[in-house]
Amino acid sequence: MDVQRYISSGILESYVFGLLPDAEQNEVETVVAQYPQVKAAVQELQLDRERFVQLYAMAPPAGIKDRLLDIIREEETPAGNVLLPEELRAPSAAPARATPVKRINGHKPSTEKIWKYIAAAIIALFLGSVILNFFFFSRSTDYKSRYQSLVAAKEKLDAQKESQSLTAHTELQKELDMLKDPAFKWIKLEGFGANAGQIVTVCWNPVSHAVFLMAQALPMPPAGKQYQLWAIRNKKLVDAGVFHGGAQMAQKIQSMKPAEAAEGFAITLENEGGSALPTMDQLQLSAKVQK
Amino acid sequence: MDYHVTYTEAELVQGLHARDQKVFSFLYDHYSPALYGVVVKVLNDHAQAVDVLQDVFLKIWRYADQYNEDKGRLFTWMLNIARNTAIDVLRSKAYKLEQKIQNITDDVHLNGGPLTVYQSIDHLGFSKVLDKLTKEQRTLIDLAYYKGCTQEEISRALDIPLGTVKTRLRNAIIQLRNILNK
Repeated sequence: MDVQRYISSGILESYVFGLLPDAEQNEVETVVAQYPQVKAAVQELQLDRERFVQLYAMAPPAGIKDRLLDIIREEETPAGNVLLPEELRAPSAAPARATPVKRINGHKPSTEKIWKYIAAAIIALFLGSVILNFFFFSRSTDYKSRYQSLVAAKEKLDAQKESQSLTAHTELQKELDMLKDPAFKWIKLEGFGANAGQIVTVCWNPVSHAVFLMAQALPMPPAGKQYQLWAIRNKKLVDAGVFHGGAQMAQKIQSMKPAEAAEGFAITLENEGGSALPTMDQLQLSAKVQK
Repeated sequence: MDYHVTYTEAELVQGLHARDQKVFSFLYDHYSPALYGVVVKVLNDHAQAVDVLQDVFLKIWRYADQYNEDKGRLFTWMLNIARNTAIDVLRSKAYKLEQKIQNITDDVHLNGGPLTVYQSIDHLGFSKVLDKLTKEQRTLIDLAYYKGCTQEEISRALDIPLGTVKTRLRNAIIQLRNILNK
């Protein structure tokens, strides 16, 4: 430390004249204890202050001294004790106020310590509650989002169920229509040769021209291929739409393109998406409409 | 300094520790004018100052074992007790800051009240010393030292920036030292 600079900083003047806050005052006292030069400077200043204070010196009224001597003679007796100012009375050994010359610490540190512990406990509780808040908050939002996704899933399922029941219902209705309407003609197409055992039933209404089909026994077509239904009219094959084969479709009624007139129906295997003209060497099944 | 010393500093301290009433009597005779001056200057109330002076001497008597000679002379310690006790009383009276300032302007010393100039500064003459300080310097020292105002309070009361208060107070004290050491 630069002692000269410290001495000339003005802090010692403030210290000696009692103008410093407690914390800074203790700092100065630490420095004074370490540096004899600073201590000497402080002593100089204290002498100056003593001389300054003497400027205002004033004789107190007579009689105070005698009263004081009476008090200190009697101070050990209860009567004398009463004469003392309240803060000096026994048994209060510790003075209420510390003077800058000597700090009186008494029981203050232990109280301070207790308060420190209490403060620490409060802070710990507070932090704990903050953490728990975060924890429960994130948990609750987690539950909330899970609940919402469950509700959404349920709604989706409900919608699916409804649409399924609707389609199932319309399919059932179609079947019932086909069964009930006497105009419908049922044509059973059976495989022959290499395709023996394959069965497709075509259901045609010559009045409404509606065509339905059930591929009751038809293998899955090779990859890239698709079955196509043709209506036979004047020896010509007219496109009646593509349909699916395979075990999954065996019970399903597939709606086909309407046919105005048909003498019979034929099924060919075509490239996926169907073709405008039938590939005759790929004829799988055919049957005539019974007059 | 010449106090017509019949006791050395160490003897005074020892005497206080030993609860020697003759030492107490000596201290009162030699230091009560200075301490009374401080108390009167702080409180500006003679009747109250008498009570406070009595408390101050009882504290000196009672707390003698708390005196620490490393921190300054016995007189410095006694001065601190006098100043702090008087300022405590002043504060407990809940004086308003304005009143404190008012008190300085009607100060008994500035108007030449009854006083005893201590012999050691006879050669200076106290009015001569104070004349060499500006009015502002006197006000600052009085507020800070005798009224126990913090520098923040002075800054607010006199409407001067805190930094300026600090500088001016320091200069006032240095000026005072220079006058006293001439």
